Amino acid sequence: MKLRLAIIGCGKIADQHVQAAHRAGGCQLVAVCDRERLMAEQLGERFKIAGVFADASEMLKKTSPDVVHITTPPLGHFPLAKLCLEHGSNVYLEKPFTVTAAEAQELVALAEKKNLRLTAGHNYQFTLEMIEMRRQIASGFLGGAPVHLESHWAYDLSDATYVAPILGSKTHWVRQLPGQLFHNLISHGTARLAEFLDDDVTVSAQAHQSPRLKNLGGQEVMDELRVLLRDGKGTTAFFCFSTQIKPGMNSFRICGPKNSILVENGSGSLILNRAGSAKSYLTYVLPPLRAARQHVHNARVNLIDCLRGKLHQDFGMKELIERFHNSIREQGTPPIPYREIILTARIMDEIFAQIKKTEADR
Amino acid sequence: MSSANIVTPADKILVTGSNGFIGTRAVENLLARGFFNLRCFVRPSSKLEKLQKILAHYPNAKNVEIVAGDLLSREDCARAAKDIAVIVHLAAGFDKSFAGAFMNSALATRNLLDAFLEVGQPRRFVNVSSFAVYSNYHLERHALLDENCPLETEPQARNDAYGFGKLKQEQLVRDYGAERGLKWVILRPGMVYGPGKPDLSGRVGINTFGFFIHMGGRNEMPMTFVDNCADAIVLAALKPGVDGEIFNVVDDERLTSNEFLARRKEAKNFFSVWAPYPLIRFGCGLWEDFSRKRHGQLPPVFNRRRCAAEWGGNTFSNEKLHKVLGWTPKVTTEDALKQFLAQFK
Repeated sequence: MKLRLAIIGCGKIADQHVQAAHRAGGCQLVAVCDRERLMAEQLGERFKIAGVFADASEMLKKTSPDVVHITTPPLGHFPLAKLCLEHGSNVYLEKPFTVTAAEAQELVALAEKKNLRLTAGHNYQFTLEMIEMRRQIASGFLGGAPVHLESHWAYDLSDATYVAPILGSKTHWVRQLPGQLFHNLISHGTARLAEFLDDDVTVSAQAHQSPRLKNLGGQEVMDELRVLLRDGKGTTAFFCFSTQIKPGMNSFRICGPKNSILVENGSGSLILNRAGSAKSYLTYVLPPLRAARQHVHNARVNLIDCLRGKLHQDFGMKELIERFHNSIREQGTPPIPYREIILTARIMDEIFAQIKKTEADR
Repeated sequence: MSSANIVTPADKILVTGSNGFIGTRAVENLLARGFFNLRCFVRPSSKLEKLQKILAHYPNAKNVEIVAGDLLSREDCARAAKDIAVIVHLAAGFDKSFAGAFMNSALATRNLLDAFLEVGQPRRFVNVSSFAVYSNYHLERHALLDENCPLETEPQARNDAYGFGKLKQEQLVRDYGAERGLKWVILRPGMVYGPGKPDLSGRVGINTFGFFIHMGGRNEMPMTFVDNCADAIVLAALKPGVDGEIFNVVDDERLTSNEFLARRKEAKNFFSVWAPYPLIRFGCGLWEDFSRKRHGQLPPVFNRRRCAAEWGGNTFSNEKLHKVLGWTPKVTTEDALKQFLAQFK
């Protein structure tokens, strides 16, 4: 069954959704909608999509899509997703899922009540290396429940194209979010922690402004964030968001009682760190050689995947869309558990509240 | 009003993108002609040293307004366009995405046009476009490319977000002319060069793979020195009787890609590899087919349309610019090259 797909919000990210949906297959793009009609027209024209709308209600009424991808700025996510669910459409919401955890909970409750499905745009959870990491964990590689997690997420500000308009206008939508720049950029980095933490999480966050952002006229906007987390079972986690660390770190480390795994998203690599020591001075020789062997293995796998057409820059989004659409067709479980979506939103809420309080105390 | 111009120095002129590479020169050109009643529109995050340096040269420029804002904001556009008689619209969007380029070019222009017609005293809208709007895909190599040549119909296939934005921007301006009586002039500058812009145009070659590949050789560059280009833009803003006209902007003397690169290397040598056109064309075709077959696994950055447009080679004409606008290049190509190359020494 081909799903009838519609997109609300025709900015930059919408192009990625259209292309990833085409690659995923099994759906037909029936409509695009943007409050700014010209934006909807340009997307519709380029991808030959017949339905072009400036009003979401009208679009839903006239095209009755099976699934709607919402790619608007985050402030519109909650009301638009609610509207789509009420019209009987399943919803893929770009990150951040909602502005607050309360909104996320309400949407999940509504979706469950209506027997519809929701997912969040945490597409980096579905890259090839993250899928392989889960396979290793499922096979028992860690040797038990995770003891500690580390997530690094970087965003390069050397090209000011992204940040300049945000800093230039206090009314820019990013500035309207409770977490400002962080709110728009840390979802991917926190979502992968939520996958392995239980719901009883305590958070301790600190943030500051980098000299680079200050030079760009950053005003009250902050761009460096460090967070410590601990869940009810004692699993600890560290999250680092940085615009300054070079080379930009985009990695996830999960440590078990027996072994650990490091995922480098930037290079699509997975390093399996096995416990055990070598004799005497071999401890300085064998572990680096083992690591080198794994790096060579990663390079070989990536090259083969690339030549076979499997490795694609947007693989994660295509994979997430495919799994989400399948869950709709088969009335199955959505690819991202709702618990994780809500926990990600709760962690983010807590981070922003603590930053705000620290700022107020100063 | 002077019969030589559509506005007098008492009328207000708005220059968008006034802190940019061409914008600063356009402002200077207007000041030199005695038009001090200017409003310079800049992005809020702009460093204004270049513009302020120019204004400091003209004692009468004390009343030149600098307005910071975002053309995507209708309120900012209204502030910019209030009481304006002529708009020189130079602000450009260089976003790599199609949606971003469209937003910063077409949407921003729509907002500005609405504000101009609503709160301005509109006499003319000068839309600065680009050679990127043309398609020479069906032209013979080295055929004449002038204002009558076809526009690009497949910017997506050409993977040219900037060209797409400019095409849509031009279309909007023409639509406003037809439907709402806007008086407009469109200029399409070729390869604009000069001090302050050290990067070589993609028409000469590319740095994509970590070293410079010189693309083509004997193909003529549609070059125009930044001061000559600014002069054409200002003439288009002032001259009576040119409403509804489109002008290509290229200088009289134009070098080939080989000649331009050789002059650039005289100032400071660097390593480059030459790629002959048949090889480029073959490579671009292969890349395009592979990209399509693999559903964009390799983005179609090289493709047949881009190949023809940037490296295929055409001859160019500025006859209309001379005859209708009365433009002549104030800076000779030799002097222009000296100024351009001085930045590398």
